Amino acid sequence: MEEFFNRYKKELTWLFYAIATALVLLFLREQLADKKASRIVQTLISGILVGGIYGLVALGIVVINKASGVFNFAHGWMMVVGGMIFWSFFAVAEISVPGAALLSTATMFMVMTAVSVRSLLEPRNLLIAAGGVLALTILMTVGGIELKWLHAIVGAFAGAILIGLVVERFTIRPLIGQPIFTAVLMTLAIAEVLHGVTQIAWGTVELNLPIFVNPETNRRFSVIRLDGLKDMLGGVTIIRVELVIAFVLAIVAFVGFIAFFRYTSVGLAMRATSEDQQLAQSVGLRVRVILAITWAVAAILASIAGVLQGGAVGLSLNISFVALRVFPAVLLGGLESIGGAFIGGIIIGIVEQFGTFLNSSQQVGTDLAPYVVLMLVLVVRPDGLFGEKRIERI
Amino acid sequence: MKRICFLFSLLAMTSIIAAPAMAQDMMDYPSELSECAVDLTGETLTIFHFGDLSGPYAFITQPVVSAVTDAVHYWNGRGGVCGAMLQQIYEDTGGSREAAQSAYDRFTSAYKDELDLLLLYSSDDGELLREQLAEDEIVSFISAGSIESLYGEDGMTPGWLYASNPLYINQFGFFCQFVAASPEIFPDPVIGFVTWPNAFGRAGTEPSARAYCAELGVDVLEEPQFFLPTDTDILTQVQNAIDGGANIIYTNTLATGPALIAGTLVDLGMEDEIRLAGVNWVMDTTVGILGQRVLKPNGLPSVDGMFGSMPFLWWTELTSPAVQFVYQQFTLNERSPAEQNIAYLVAWGAVDSIIETFIRTVNRVGSLDAVTGADIRETVEAMDYEILGGLMRHRFEEGMRDATMNRIAVLKYANTTMSGAATGPDDALLIDDGAGGKLFVPIVVPLTDFMPVPQLRGQ
Repeated sequence: MEEFFNRYKKELTWLFYAIATALVLLFLREQLADKKASRIVQTLISGILVGGIYGLVALGIVVINKASGVFNFAHGWMMVVGGMIFWSFFAVAEISVPGAALLSTATMFMVMTAVSVRSLLEPRNLLIAAGGVLALTILMTVGGIELKWLHAIVGAFAGAILIGLVVERFTIRPLIGQPIFTAVLMTLAIAEVLHGVTQIAWGTVELNLPIFVNPETNRRFSVIRLDGLKDMLGGVTIIRVELVIAFVLAIVAFVGFIAFFRYTSVGLAMRATSEDQQLAQSVGLRVRVILAITWAVAAILASIAGVLQGGAVGLSLNISFVALRVFPAVLLGGLESIGGAFIGGIIIGIVEQFGTFLNSSQQVGTDLAPYVVLMLVLVVRPDGLFGEKRIERI
Repeated sequence: MKRICFLFSLLAMTSIIAAPAMAQDMMDYPSELSECAVDLTGETLTIFHFGDLSGPYAFITQPVVSAVTDAVHYWNGRGGVCGAMLQQIYEDTGGSREAAQSAYDRFTSAYKDELDLLLLYSSDDGELLREQLAEDEIVSFISAGSIESLYGEDGMTPGWLYASNPLYINQFGFFCQFVAASPEIFPDPVIGFVTWPNAFGRAGTEPSARAYCAELGVDVLEEPQFFLPTDTDILTQVQNAIDGGANIIYTNTLATGPALIAGTLVDLGMEDEIRLAGVNWVMDTTVGILGQRVLKPNGLPSVDGMFGSMPFLWWTELTSPAVQFVYQQFTLNERSPAEQNIAYLVAWGAVDSIIETFIRTVNRVGSLDAVTGADIRETVEAMDYEILGGLMRHRFEEGMRDATMNRIAVLKYANTTMSGAATGPDDALLIDDGAGGKLFVPIVVPLTDFMPVPQLRGQ
């Protein structure tokens, strides 16, 4: 018998998984049997769309992890700060020119000194920095309220880059060569600092961020009603436009980052750096610059996610908790996988919605189902669905 | 039961315009505080408080600090209370129980002799500190406490915490009374809870509340639907409640919570079929503003017509000297519109209540130094006091630890002439939001008089 099990271990394992899957499907079939088709379709649509936002948040965490091996616990607070900066330019009629100039100057200073402070001593670099400051300040303040989108996007990008670079320069860079766990702990400290900064700068009162609005009515977009399917599905099915916009933006970001990591030299350098920072440095890669770019990119992604989430439900400190809900998606997809982050986000979104659909009163959707699915997947694939399998040769 | 107080509310609404003009003359303090029998010149009366100022409830609680700061400034500018200068000592716990415990430990060790009265914000902190407050003999004032925090696990053991609002379960029972008495608004009522999953959100979902409502002919669905403050989409929860038969959705949430539910009902095209109601926090300014993201087909914000508890006077009830006074202080201190919420209003009331409590206690015991928590407790339980001359009532006789009076109100939006509620966007008062958009002006219209709430704890 023992010989039989050893011989067919792999096949038996897969047989076990197949039986388990069949049982789950049978359970779901029974649970869904008395549900209207429209509700099932609606739940699926909601899950996919909400999952798109989760995927976008997960992407920011994965980018940092992919390049530096650090799991960024501060990502949620980077979302909050990014969203707040966007709001400061979007919801305020008169932008402070000195404030915009200060933000531009700080951002350009951090960008131009990414390699070394001395680089600013070169006249050419100084000229570029001055031009950058001027251009950013103009873009943030030019025109009136009708250009608030331009002001907000430029301001939020500049702010995100500044946050990413400051975090990298003063907290992560000094830890190069130290155990990764030290940097992970540092991200917890960064989260608390950003928490405090947010309170001091913007207070804690919930802010309205009306980005998903019809320009004619200045109110939120109407939902898309799938009335054509009403007879077939036995009920109305709707799609929220802002979630569709967020989903499309998420897809664009994913495609862009997959291409970036695969086809650009910076992307390849990031991947190399994530393997071994000291080795990467020894072959001539500028690890400092690569890490700086990575943190800036992650901060931009966090800002985009913060703005989308803030636009959907309002800007508050609670947004930071979205990142906690995304952790299962990151682990499910695989810590280093860009595509995995997206798929993980979608799966967790669907699982949450169906868990809620079937049993909302016990919080099955948010507190139980995502973690059960995560456990099951990790049992089968310990590195996540698309994670890189690490082989260490001794 | 449902005597509509339109005249009252219309008068109140006109005062939105009148208020800035009125703010030119300094008003007298609206309370009839007790005479000071003891001169406290040279002494300091400290208002201690801590709670979640940066966590999940931050957007509601932050104005507490502003209100207490303004009150301290007001009193110290007038020579203090019986000559004693006021000061506040507070701490942010970020919504963490560990931080709340740590703050309590610090307060009780650093201010052992002074700390006889403590202001708390949340039910969770109340539950955490209930036994410790009793052991240390420290009285605590809180806006709204849970059954466990105020009356213990059995619901029958009064502690050292005193809440200025009725228990949430009693507010829900009171709403059921209103529903039962209003068949023309709520025919064949079935209530479904769509709420947050914390202690606050779950209050009112107890079997005793369901049984009480059933006795009145109001069905309540057994299974509440839960969502998180971070949820972007709650279609599933709302549809679950509707599929379960609910034609009234009740929520113990605040800020984005009621706005999200109302928006979802509009998305589903069910804003006229399903009524929305909730605990006192759903009447807050934040809800009136956040609910404007989604408009109903009639052009008014999604939360227009939402019912809620209103156990105190509201900002728009400016016929009351209490509200006039707080409004004046709010204006003079140049507070931001976002702070014009329940917390700012109620915190002024809490300071007034603390001052009156101390005056009466010092008068009795002879000096500020001699005051103990037990003395404060004795005073609190003997008081029958109109806070700020009518904002709310302080009366905790016969073992009561929460307010016993409540009324039902409806959230509406002002019309252009400020003579009533808008019927559509054409006659609605719209103001600039400072970013190129327009905002409707939320108003709260009381639908009933103040009446006793049912006592549903411990059943």
